[in-house]
Amino acid sequence: MSGPEAAGNGPLIHRRYVFGLLLRLCVNFAGGVGILFVILYFTLSRPLPGDYAGVFHALRNLSPFLRPILAVSVLVYALLACGSTSALCVFILHKVAGPLYRMEMVLDEYRSGTPTRTVSFRSGDQIQPLAQAFNLWIGTLRRDRHRCLATMKDAERHCLQDEATCRAQMEEALRKVAEDMAKYH
Amino acid sequence: MKNRALQPPWSRIRYVTPRFQGPAVLAFAAIIATGGAIFWKLVDSEFQRVFLHAAIRGHYAFDSAYDIIRDLLAWHLAGLFVGVFLTGSVLVLLLVAATRHGIGKAVDSLRASADGDLSTPTGTGPISEFGRFGEKIDATRSDTLASVLKIRSEAAALAAGGISPEEFRLRWDELKHRIRRIAP
Repeated sequence: MSGPEAAGNGPLIHRRYVFGLLLRLCVNFAGGVGILFVILYFTLSRPLPGDYAGVFHALRNLSPFLRPILAVSVLVYALLACGSTSALCVFILHKVAGPLYRMEMVLDEYRSGTPTRTVSFRSGDQIQPLAQAFNLWIGTLRRDRHRCLATMKDAERHCLQDEATCRAQMEEALRKVAEDMAKYH
Repeated sequence: MKNRALQPPWSRIRYVTPRFQGPAVLAFAAIIATGGAIFWKLVDSEFQRVFLHAAIRGHYAFDSAYDIIRDLLAWHLAGLFVGVFLTGSVLVLLLVAATRHGIGKAVDSLRASADGDLSTPTGTGPISEFGRFGEKIDATRSDTLASVLKIRSEAAALAAGGISPEEFRLRWDELKHRIRRIAP
């Protein structure tokens, strides 16, 4: 079996797509960390009292509040980062999940006996070689079907002659059909 | 007024395939949550220590609590970003590798089918969505093989002779109909 990239159909997943995904994730995570920084900055940047005792007490009293402040900040960061990353994942991975879903529909149609059209994905979708491989297979099957039917039709033409010739030609055609189908295993 | 019947059929776009996108979203969420938890744990203990140390040191050359932990916070935020991004990148690369492997097997299987091999299992790999997809391809190939084998055996049986002309003609037409149903 040849590899998916060997037949010159292009890669299954383009490098540009992977780099794009990594870049978007980078921006996304940087945004999340930036928001966390802003929250902590505004929480901790309040001026301390001017006198010695005031600063001492302010710093000592900061400790009990530090844990909930950090917890809320990290929670906000986690929720925002998770939300935006989820949206990003759904949007970006749709370039793979969409064609996969379409292919499944085509396979279901094929199995139910509905006439199958040539499969093509949207531009920008990944896994394009899958559609090309499916079209290649269906194309081969259709070529074999046409050849078999043409052989049988050709034999039927001899039925204008006598019965024995017709039967002999038909049997010959059937042997050829069986031979053609023998390549499938 | 536009005639809706003349418009091309609207292809429905499905934005969510939960079996594929769902686990990826959960994995990224787990990375972010873990990173956040580690950051919280580390920063909390460090800040407690630093503020206590600053309070008892006595020389208050700062205007706000932020001035005390500025560098520490910057380093921890940088660590959080790098940690989460690197782990996320590894996850992306694993996802891409699994997709390449799974879909690559499906492509190989379809190409082998074009060469006549309709029986070798696809075997698509670790992601369940690809496994299910591979099973669907195998079922399609299996159906095709079954109908091809039926045609082949029927053609061989008819070619062997010993059938009355009426029955032969009947089965001949039936065989043609069966062949027409391959890859409709």
